[in-house]
Amino acid sequence: MTIRHAGSRWVRADLRARRGQAVLTVLAVAGIVAALITAATLLEEGTNPWRSLFSQTDGAHVWIHTQEVPQAVRLREIDGVTQVAGPYRSAPVSVVQDGKKEPAALRALPAAAPEVAHPVVAEGRWLDQGQLDGVVVERSFARELGLRLGAPVTVTALSGARHTLYVRGIADTAEQGFYPEWTPGLAWVLPDLLDRIEPALGRSEYVTGLRLTDPEATQVVSQRVVVMLEDKLQRVYTWRQVRAAMELDNRLLGTLLALFGVVGLVAAALALANAAGGRVLGQLRDLATLKSMGFTRAQVAGLLVVEHGALGLVGVALGGVAGLAVIAVVLGPSAIAPAPVLLIVAGTALVVLAAVGLPAWRGGRTPPIPAAPSAPPRGHLSRLARLALLVRLPPALVLGARDAFTRRVPAFMTVFGLAVPMMMITIGLGVWSTLDNFQRNPAQVGQHAALHVRPGKLESASAERMAKADRGVATVYQGADVNALAPGQARSVRVRAIGNSAEPYPFPVVEGRMYAQPGEAVAGQGLLDLLRAKIGDRVRLTVGDSPLIVRIVGRTVEPDLDGEVLSVGLDSLAAKDTVPPEFYALVLKDGADAGEVRTRLLAVSGEGLDVQRVVNPAERLTVIRVLIVALIFVLSLIGLANLLTASALGLRDHALDLAVLKAMGLTPRQLMATLVTGTGLLVILGVLAGTAVGASVVTGLIDLQGHTSGVGAGIGRPPSATTLVLAVLVAVGAALAVALIPARRAARAQVPVTAR
Amino acid sequence: MTLLKTVNLVKIYSDGGVPVPAVRGVDLQVDEGEFVVIMGPSGSGKSTLVHMLGGLDTRTSGEIWLGGKRVDTLSESAWAVLRRRQIGFVFQFFNLVASMTVADNVELPALLAGATPGEARERREVLLGALNLAERADAAPAQLSGGEQQRVALARALANQPTVLLADEPTGNLDSRNTRDVLRLLGQVHKDGQTIVMVTHDARVASLADRVVSLLDGEIVDDGRIARRRKGNAGEVIELR
Repeated sequence: MTIRHAGSRWVRADLRARRGQAVLTVLAVAGIVAALITAATLLEEGTNPWRSLFSQTDGAHVWIHTQEVPQAVRLREIDGVTQVAGPYRSAPVSVVQDGKKEPAALRALPAAAPEVAHPVVAEGRWLDQGQLDGVVVERSFARELGLRLGAPVTVTALSGARHTLYVRGIADTAEQGFYPEWTPGLAWVLPDLLDRIEPALGRSEYVTGLRLTDPEATQVVSQRVVVMLEDKLQRVYTWRQVRAAMELDNRLLGTLLALFGVVGLVAAALALANAAGGRVLGQLRDLATLKSMGFTRAQVAGLLVVEHGALGLVGVALGGVAGLAVIAVVLGPSAIAPAPVLLIVAGTALVVLAAVGLPAWRGGRTPPIPAAPSAPPRGHLSRLARLALLVRLPPALVLGARDAFTRRVPAFMTVFGLAVPMMMITIGLGVWSTLDNFQRNPAQVGQHAALHVRPGKLESASAERMAKADRGVATVYQGADVNALAPGQARSVRVRAIGNSAEPYPFPVVEGRMYAQPGEAVAGQGLLDLLRAKIGDRVRLTVGDSPLIVRIVGRTVEPDLDGEVLSVGLDSLAAKDTVPPEFYALVLKDGADAGEVRTRLLAVSGEGLDVQRVVNPAERLTVIRVLIVALIFVLSLIGLANLLTASALGLRDHALDLAVLKAMGLTPRQLMATLVTGTGLLVILGVLAGTAVGASVVTGLIDLQGHTSGVGAGIGRPPSATTLVLAVLVAVGAALAVALIPARRAARAQVPVTAR
Repeated sequence: MTLLKTVNLVKIYSDGGVPVPAVRGVDLQVDEGEFVVIMGPSGSGKSTLVHMLGGLDTRTSGEIWLGGKRVDTLSESAWAVLRRRQIGFVFQFFNLVASMTVADNVELPALLAGATPGEARERREVLLGALNLAERADAAPAQLSGGEQQRVALARALANQPTVLLADEPTGNLDSRNTRDVLRLLGQVHKDGQTIVMVTHDARVASLADRVVSLLDGEIVDDGRIARRRKGNAGEVIELR
């Protein structure tokens, strides 16, 4: 109690005296905590929209696509199935909106919303018999198309017939992932209208949803379905795939933020410990005075913990608020999960207190005799200084080099404290350059072809002819995407066939080799993991009613569908799936613009062709770049905090020497150079070490992330040498500039010759 | 009445393995209201002695008694608590807390001793007023001259009306004018009944004291009371030799 007033006076006075550093500390900690909270929320399952959508729509766990109407009664009899949604008839169409032509599935649902898997209307109303030309569009699809309530939509059936519908409602569903990650887009119409748009039953399929008692029984149930429906089955997918599709980007961002957050926390703790430790060293005399006045050891330590800890805790609180604000803005207030936020706040608070605990304890042990000198340990010249002398460097540099290491532990802490943020910055730059590489060399992520052309209402042959005739097109590969059932998995995977085995489409094979003959295939990491297969294994899949037996001879970088894609030559598939080809993959000539080629092809075909640009994964991940910039900013703050500590400590240690050096005849400029060299040497060491470590681990880290996300290793790119050199120069230059200001002031000041 | 007493007080520094005796068996008694000056050349152990008296340094052996209680056996924390109310310190280099204003520096010990902020402020105003520093209350110590700083340090030491004021070369860093000012202040507080133990190697400073104890190589070599001229009696007794 007695110490409260006295202590608060001292703490306030001290904070006032180093306002800038205090603000830096608070900001750095706040940035890290905000990053951690955002990361945890992104990784937290609660933020995955799937969960709430699933419960709102009373969703189905297993979705079955069949050629003919399945016997719903038999499906319901399967153990574990409680309710069945559908079967609903579904027809493939394309939606033309603002010149864009997007693939869509038009699904026939009754006017009375079903019990299971009923879309939840977000805007407008559900379908009703009074408005036969009404359509309800899935929300992400509507957003992508820019559709509003009441807007007309033109849909083109496979026959080429066009129909204009009007948007009656926009609805959410847990039946499939969001557009455009999940295609085709989804829209619902009344059965009568679907019959009008697509009268041919052969061009449509039937979709049935099964709701289960136990979501964990999904695997067993879908296996039963596969056995029961056999060759009638076209595609099965489960809630797990839908959930994964919805969380894809969240996970990647979350992982990235978590990595930066955790390492950043270590760096911030280090910066705090450095700042507190440096401050304690600088205040030994004040602390001794406090003790001579009657502060006990514990009280001095307590004061220091309160002062430095309070900065950290204010940072934690600010970061908490900022993190929650970011979540509320980006993901909506409902995404805030209190448990992990509390855990992070408590955890970082503990880290903060632990970081300031040691310097505070040391401060508490200060002997109470204020006159006792707290000079740095004097000793022989450091090896570096001797080396500097040997090569006859200017005396200022030599003295600075000697100063740099007079206090070993703080010197190490400074180097380490700068190396850690620099390492993270290098990793951030590596992620940046990996994204750049995706964009510059789409071929390396399997996007050799920039355009996919579907014949639309034209003949396949004429579509191919038109594509080949365009002056921007280098090569045209025939291609087909089919769904295959994986044995034992009871779910569908994508089999992508482009080109022939003899002259294969250049999939980016990073392990093993490219397929060279029919019956060989390459696969993405996700597929290998799913099937627990490795290169050299033979796998058996079922496409429609025909088996597909291939040997996996290599692994590709596969950014689509969590890497659960098998790539083969067209000649490995049965002819019924490949003739005529479903699409043509167009590899453009160097310098040809995909947009221009697309426009030309559409013009030549009279809008008959369906030409789609391949979406580069880097475009989807643009937000990562924003993230990297923000994190680099926070890390720079941490580095700066460390630097200020080092600089203040250096000045304090050498305040006395300055008078001596001046007496010896060093000019103010030389003095300044001495001081800056002392700090600068540590900065250079820290920055170089951090950059070296960062550059050497970044590729591995990105590949590790690639591996776990199914894309597969082999995508990581270290930042270019130019970028690294530039980063090092900027860091060192900024650091020297910061160190220069106090050094200049100190060198020009009249130095009183007094005891410390 | 004896306020402060040491019995065979010994301090041996043993930094670096070689034992260096600084104080070798000092027996000292200071009476209440007495002004004792400890003199001696550099390295005679006078600072060490006064540090031990205030608990800033631990003794190697011997006893220290303050107000009839043995205090050399106290823990570091107990010493700190004792210092809050009973001991005021003045150092050669003032040792004001640099980041705090003059007012805060003076109020700090009072607050620490449990005074309310209001009481502390009152006391500070009285003290600074008495030391002619009232208008510098909001200045930072760095803005003050050496003499002013030492006066502030004195105000701080007196803030809690300590039983004993320990001063370690309080004028060692001051010019003659400032020395005179500080000494005059010390004389004033002594006249008000303050017990003072002061370390100095300046003979002129010593002339102010009731008693001068000379230390050499850690031992008391002379302990003499200075005969005071009785003011008001001047002229009645004239001694001539």
